[in-house]
Amino acid sequence: MDVQYEHLTKKFGAVTALDDFTLHVPDGDFLVLLGPSGCGKTTALRCLAGLEKPTSGIIRIGGKVVNRLQPRDRDVALVFQSYALYPQMTVGNNIMYPLRIRHIPKEERLRMAHDVARRLEIDALFDRRPNQLSGGQRQRVALARAIVRNPNVFLMDEPLSNLDARLRVNMRAELKHLQKTLGTTTVYVTHDQAEAMTMADRIAVMRDGRLEQVGTPDEIYFSPETVYVAGFVGSPAMNLLNVRVDSASRALVGDGFSLSATSVLEAHAVDETKHYILGVRPEHLTLSLEAHPGSIAGAVYAVEPMGNETLVYVKVGQSTLVARADAMLRAAVNTPCWLEIREDRLLLFDAETERRVPRR
Amino acid sequence: MDTRRFEWSNIIGTAIKYAVLLLIMVIVLFPIYWMVITSFKGRLELTTYPPTLFPKNIILDNYRDAFSDSDIPRYMLNSVIVVGVSTLISLFFGTLAGYSLARFAFTPTFKRQISFWILSTRMIPPIVTIIPIFLIYRNLQLLNTYAGMIIVYVGFTLPFTTWMMRAFVREVPVDLEEAAMVDGDTRLTALLRIVLPLTAPGLVATAIFSLILVWNEFLFALILTTTSATITLPVGISGFVSQFEVLWGQMSAVGTVAIIPILIFTLAVQRYLVRGLTLGAVK
Repeated sequence: MDVQYEHLTKKFGAVTALDDFTLHVPDGDFLVLLGPSGCGKTTALRCLAGLEKPTSGIIRIGGKVVNRLQPRDRDVALVFQSYALYPQMTVGNNIMYPLRIRHIPKEERLRMAHDVARRLEIDALFDRRPNQLSGGQRQRVALARAIVRNPNVFLMDEPLSNLDARLRVNMRAELKHLQKTLGTTTVYVTHDQAEAMTMADRIAVMRDGRLEQVGTPDEIYFSPETVYVAGFVGSPAMNLLNVRVDSASRALVGDGFSLSATSVLEAHAVDETKHYILGVRPEHLTLSLEAHPGSIAGAVYAVEPMGNETLVYVKVGQSTLVARADAMLRAAVNTPCWLEIREDRLLLFDAETERRVPRR
Repeated sequence: MDTRRFEWSNIIGTAIKYAVLLLIMVIVLFPIYWMVITSFKGRLELTTYPPTLFPKNIILDNYRDAFSDSDIPRYMLNSVIVVGVSTLISLFFGTLAGYSLARFAFTPTFKRQISFWILSTRMIPPIVTIIPIFLIYRNLQLLNTYAGMIIVYVGFTLPFTTWMMRAFVREVPVDLEEAAMVDGDTRLTALLRIVLPLTAPGLVATAIFSLILVWNEFLFALILTTTSATITLPVGISGFVSQFEVLWGQMSAVGTVAIIPILIFTLAVQRYLVRGLTLGAVK
């Protein structure tokens, strides 16, 4: 079933949590709502579940308007951040709870529950209580409870955020695989951009109750529409510099540097009178300890060896840029260095509107 | 040198602590002890001077006289029925009201007003309302009825049970009910199946407090009941103070029996009582 948000607005008193939110989730898609705390992503999820009533706007599941339907009639399953396992019941009874409510006969219930438990490798825990389980196990029980009734839509509210880092990384792959196997439309809320990038078919970046941009991970990463999206996705974050255009020297001029950028200026419709923001990701900067024509001069500010690569922080004028460098590179602080930018990966944003200037 | 002085003051401190505790215990328990031994004393021994701390002869006459061929058993039954039913009703509505106050988003003004309204019922001295209630009951023919007494006692305890149940429901994470509602429950079934079992200790604690509140109630029982059909135990016991003499022995016998139900009930549920009392304390 596909999901459609149409001009959804939700206010809590004076606070607007969602503002004219419109989004379509195709059937079978894994859509991630990504954004910082307070951006409205959880509110959007809860409105879909029926736990919040929208102030205005329409929500459709499979084309049908569900605004008036109670949560139990929407055929959605929600995995909570806190898992919300019923503490007084065993794992098995937790999983079977939604089936029990639907008066599915006991034998059938047990069979279905064991099937799902086996699939998530928690069958051995069937008779334990939630307080006897580890975080990862509890999360699987919450998942099992959601899967067992084969709903139309999975809703997940930051289900991995309470797990330790290693388990989180493992579960990301498992969740994605599970979703592909089941083929159920999934709406997933997170503030972790790594989770979004790795798991999503499409990402919807949100900010202050509004949708900033929606697209595939590639689109979000390589073609961000706004400065906000550009800075939010990717770690370390994209380098952003204030620049102006000097058409005489065919260069982008910024604080402490002048970058000759003929092809860039040809590819974009730019105006000399405007301020722009130059965006380039750390991996698209090449660090060199020797001067290069067409590169930006700076000084080493800090070096972070990561093992597989080294992150170098470079001071250019008043700004600090980050570049990914070879794993073996080491340099002393204040060493002069030069950064070369891959021109086809250079992005220009209008400093006033913060929107990307499209390529011609 | 120092360690010896430290030990010394420590011992004295502990001794004083225990002495004070013992003293308090004696002061609190002595009336009950006195009542129990009085119930076993014969008429003669009751009036000897100096009074005996332990009965010279243990006699069961008082019990015999008080219970056989008297209305006391009936009074006990009335108490049990009136207090029991009113506690149940109070718990039922109090839990629903407490749940609503805990879960539904009312405006802060409304919440403040409701809270004050609930507390205000405890601010009025009961005696102020007794005459109006008497007149109303007379018109509605509720005098000397179980229903009349139950209504009054529900009125006493309902603010209290609402207040306590609201606190206990707050302790249960909202997530659980929401999970149940998405799983397929209505709000009501989620309350019954998920929330209530988790508030069980609180429910028990509230029940006990509510019960104790009305078991000893005297004023309304005195005014609103007239015959042995509905007279409750506290009023019945006071009947031993007659025009001619005070039947200490029989009064004590009934008193001793009167505290037994509450004692048993509290002993049986004290485990839940402690949990219920401290549940709200640690988040």
